[in-house]
Amino acid sequence: MKLLGRNLPRFAGLGVPRVAECCVVAVLSLAAAPAMASSPYTAPSSWVNDLSPVSELDWNYERAAHLLERAGFGGTPEQIEHLADMTPQQAVDHLVDFHALDADPLPDFELSGLFDPAMDPFPNSRAEAVRQARDNGESMGAKVAHGESRPIQPVVNKFFYGLRGNEMEARRLATWWADRMVVTERPLQEKMALFWHGHFATTDTKVRDHRKMLKQLNLFHENAVGNFGELLLAVTQDPAMLTFLDNAENIKAHPNENFGRELMELFSLGEGNYTEQDIREASRAFTGWTDEKLQFVIREEDHDDGVKTVLGQTGNFDGEDIIEILLQQESTAEFMSAKLYRFFVRDTLSADLQYQLADVLRRNNYELAPFLKTVFLSRDFYSNESVATQFKSPVQLMVSTYRKMGLQRMPTIPDFNAATGNLGQRLLYPPNVAGWAGGSTWITPATLLQRGNLMRDVLFPDVEGFLARDPMPGIYRRVEERLAQGMNITQATTEGDSGASMLADSDEAYNTRYGAYMGYVVASETVIQIPRFPADLSLSAMLRDARVDDVSAAVAYLETRFLRHPLSDSDMAVLEQFLRDELGADELSWRSEETEIALKRVLHLLLSAPEYQLS
Amino acid sequence: MKKKFTANMTRRGLLRSGFYGLGAVGAAGMPWLSGLTHALDAAGNDNERILVVVELSGGNDGLNTVVPFQNDHYYRLRPTLAIPKNEALTISDDIGFHPSLRAFEALYKDGKMAVIHGCGYDNPSLSHFTSMSYWHTGVPNGGEPLGWAGRFMDARWPEAERENLLLNIADSQSLAVRSRLHTPLVFDNPAQLNREGDELQKQAYSQLVQNRETGNGSLQFLQNVAENAASSSEFVRDAAAAYRTPVDYGISGLGGDLRNVAALIDAGIGSKVYYTSYRGNAFDTHVYQADLHSRLLLYAADAINGFMRDIERLGRGREVAVMVFTEFGRRVEENASQGTDHGTATPMFVFSGSGEINGGLYGTHPSLGDLDDGNLRMTTDFRRVYASMIQEWMQYPDSAKVLRSPHAPLTLFRV
Repeated sequence: MKLLGRNLPRFAGLGVPRVAECCVVAVLSLAAAPAMASSPYTAPSSWVNDLSPVSELDWNYERAAHLLERAGFGGTPEQIEHLADMTPQQAVDHLVDFHALDADPLPDFELSGLFDPAMDPFPNSRAEAVRQARDNGESMGAKVAHGESRPIQPVVNKFFYGLRGNEMEARRLATWWADRMVVTERPLQEKMALFWHGHFATTDTKVRDHRKMLKQLNLFHENAVGNFGELLLAVTQDPAMLTFLDNAENIKAHPNENFGRELMELFSLGEGNYTEQDIREASRAFTGWTDEKLQFVIREEDHDDGVKTVLGQTGNFDGEDIIEILLQQESTAEFMSAKLYRFFVRDTLSADLQYQLADVLRRNNYELAPFLKTVFLSRDFYSNESVATQFKSPVQLMVSTYRKMGLQRMPTIPDFNAATGNLGQRLLYPPNVAGWAGGSTWITPATLLQRGNLMRDVLFPDVEGFLARDPMPGIYRRVEERLAQGMNITQATTEGDSGASMLADSDEAYNTRYGAYMGYVVASETVIQIPRFPADLSLSAMLRDARVDDVSAAVAYLETRFLRHPLSDSDMAVLEQFLRDELGADELSWRSEETEIALKRVLHLLLSAPEYQLS
Repeated sequence: MKKKFTANMTRRGLLRSGFYGLGAVGAAGMPWLSGLTHALDAAGNDNERILVVVELSGGNDGLNTVVPFQNDHYYRLRPTLAIPKNEALTISDDIGFHPSLRAFEALYKDGKMAVIHGCGYDNPSLSHFTSMSYWHTGVPNGGEPLGWAGRFMDARWPEAERENLLLNIADSQSLAVRSRLHTPLVFDNPAQLNREGDELQKQAYSQLVQNRETGNGSLQFLQNVAENAASSSEFVRDAAAAYRTPVDYGISGLGGDLRNVAALIDAGIGSKVYYTSYRGNAFDTHVYQADLHSRLLLYAADAINGFMRDIERLGRGREVAVMVFTEFGRRVEENASQGTDHGTATPMFVFSGSGEINGGLYGTHPSLGDLDDGNLRMTTDFRRVYASMIQEWMQYPDSAKVLRSPHAPLTLFRV
């Protein structure tokens, strides 16, 4: 009993089998005759690398929880029990065939109305805007102010307005997406969109157009579990991607290989499965592919219609032909299936398993739904090597915390983007075209401490401090203060003496820092503000509903509800003692605000534990 | 007096305070510790030398950094991007720096800088990620799981894990510092190395993160990292926060990171390799390169020059060398977008105020007439520079053991 107890969820009120260490053996023998063969936390060692499906007899609360954790972002005990009450096949179908659910009820993103046709296309750099102003007397609809001391200042102001406004709107867009992840009833759709965002990693740092980022995000949502080949083609014609990989610059006279290279290396074949010659030839097929006004267009005059040889095939290929050729390659199925597996299951897989997975994807003509169902139903997915061995990404950490709390909307205090960005992951800003490296790279001494601190910010949100804080970056605020003191623009914008800062202000036709400040001010007046509110969470109510009334049951409940890997007995004892000391009693008193604070303090400890980083 | 390294007296905390904590007080009053207060090299000699690595991520355009201003091919292949002869900062009859590199020019002329032409490796990869991983492992076209700096520390201190030998300022740990034995200390902003909460909570937390046996490899990894965080964070945080310097490092993130390196060297954390990066694939200049590259070089030079001056100000110039690299150079011919695509060979830079460095130009500039499919043919295997840093600078004799193959050092330092 003791031995089994170590492997069972501690809290009796949650999950099947409903057993706690103190409970009677009779319950166990009733509910868990089949579960005896494979207790909830452990699986037979033979399950590793076995893609055959688990049976109904293997199905229980813990496995349903693992499924929801990985195919989504985890959930409340009620959501897990809902899945546990189905057969494994039904549960997996429920998550994967989400289109069968009611029409997507989540609201579309509301644009702030920043778009200005005169600012499209947006200059590549401040220097470029200044060149346009010098050559044409205007740029982005802003005219050079003749006869004034800084004639090009209006153009520079407008440039920074465009830059900052877009950044603010992209931040709103990422917040909107994060909220979808928290509230959706189709968690796999969001999880897959996150996968595609990391796979076709496009950053707004380079794209600088939130409308293109939104369009790409919609593409990921719509094709989340569709056909990989169709998505790959759609992405090669996606304005954000065309911009990100410079394909607008890829013209017949002078092909640019950025797009062709990443297409092969990162999006389909994987490194080592093509030659430099293949990249050069394939890039020619994509010449003339570009975008105008958010639409894909082919400029025939820039397209190279000549004969190309790519991966052993010869013809006067265009981009669609190249995608077709890529999909024919064995390595594309191997690369994509392994990448999906690593995202959903675990980091390492055997060569044999990789071959089997690729075969599933190929046999289904790159249809993702049957592939995902095979993975989510497989014994391997529920093996000891897979369960509670994955490091949560920062986005996963935040979203799953909110979902496990059962929140109805995503809190915006603390700020989602700042929080996850601090941990190394900001939506719409992957670090480079390879996406986030993931896995153990999420975890450093600094990020591990910050993960715990973030949980404190969630449980004890500093609402007044947050709202009082001026979001204006320090440098602009200092400029503003100096201007208010009556300094002139040069004085107000002078900081430091390095070569870099001198260069930034070397042109007397305008002042860069002043332009950045003005751009920020106008942009923040134009962009819709993100509504700010903290988590609406009452642990007292949660525990009262679960009929928990003493310290050890409370700690056990919270552990079972939030963690996918159990704490050691000594850790549990530490937490119980901590809560007992805080309350000064063994029983929970519901009327007291102190009880709520004590529970949140103990939950903060629990959510800071190394075990909580595991999914 | 400086704040000393005081952490909880955990198992490793005790060891560490033995190594570093008493350094400035002097071990003389505590003879039982005298053998531990300094890192001793294999021969038992004091060796306080430090290697700082600066990575320019994204593939820096070597040709426009170290400019062959007498070369007609250069001007023919780069009609809009070539640095005009009269703008290059001349350092030899035919070589000049990019005009943004005034700071490098001064360091070069003071004999504190070595420039190694045409660094690369055979069968070069034009992929950022693959090529960077080759520079990180020091094993091109091989499946090496550990980093070259990590293996260096494994070879140099093979007996038992020592904390903080490897310090990596980054969002996530670089492959270069991945070690079999030693857990690198990795952080982005030192202020982040802080567990918030009151004393009672901190006490409970410190019990929760104690290392325990587990069959779950992921959990084991988390526990190791947590232990490292618990024992080093206060020291790093306090050292960075307390550091004051009149030296300007410029406005780049690299400048801020190198300032923190100076702060930690000054505070005596005792790391041997500091690994930093100009981050975000910044040097990947496919389009409209001229302005952007000019800024990037200026920012990088401000940061490195600031660091060199600051370290000399601290009186630690003799102990520190800086090695600068990038994962590849760029295609010789400019592209249609006034940018450059991924290329191959590229110069490396080594700086030191030690007086031991043999400043100057090394190797031969790659030919621009004899290209390999549009790319430069490398003239110096980059591992020869690594070998110089390992053998000549850090004075560990067996660089071949670290690099997995023999590479002749370049005599960048007096030995």
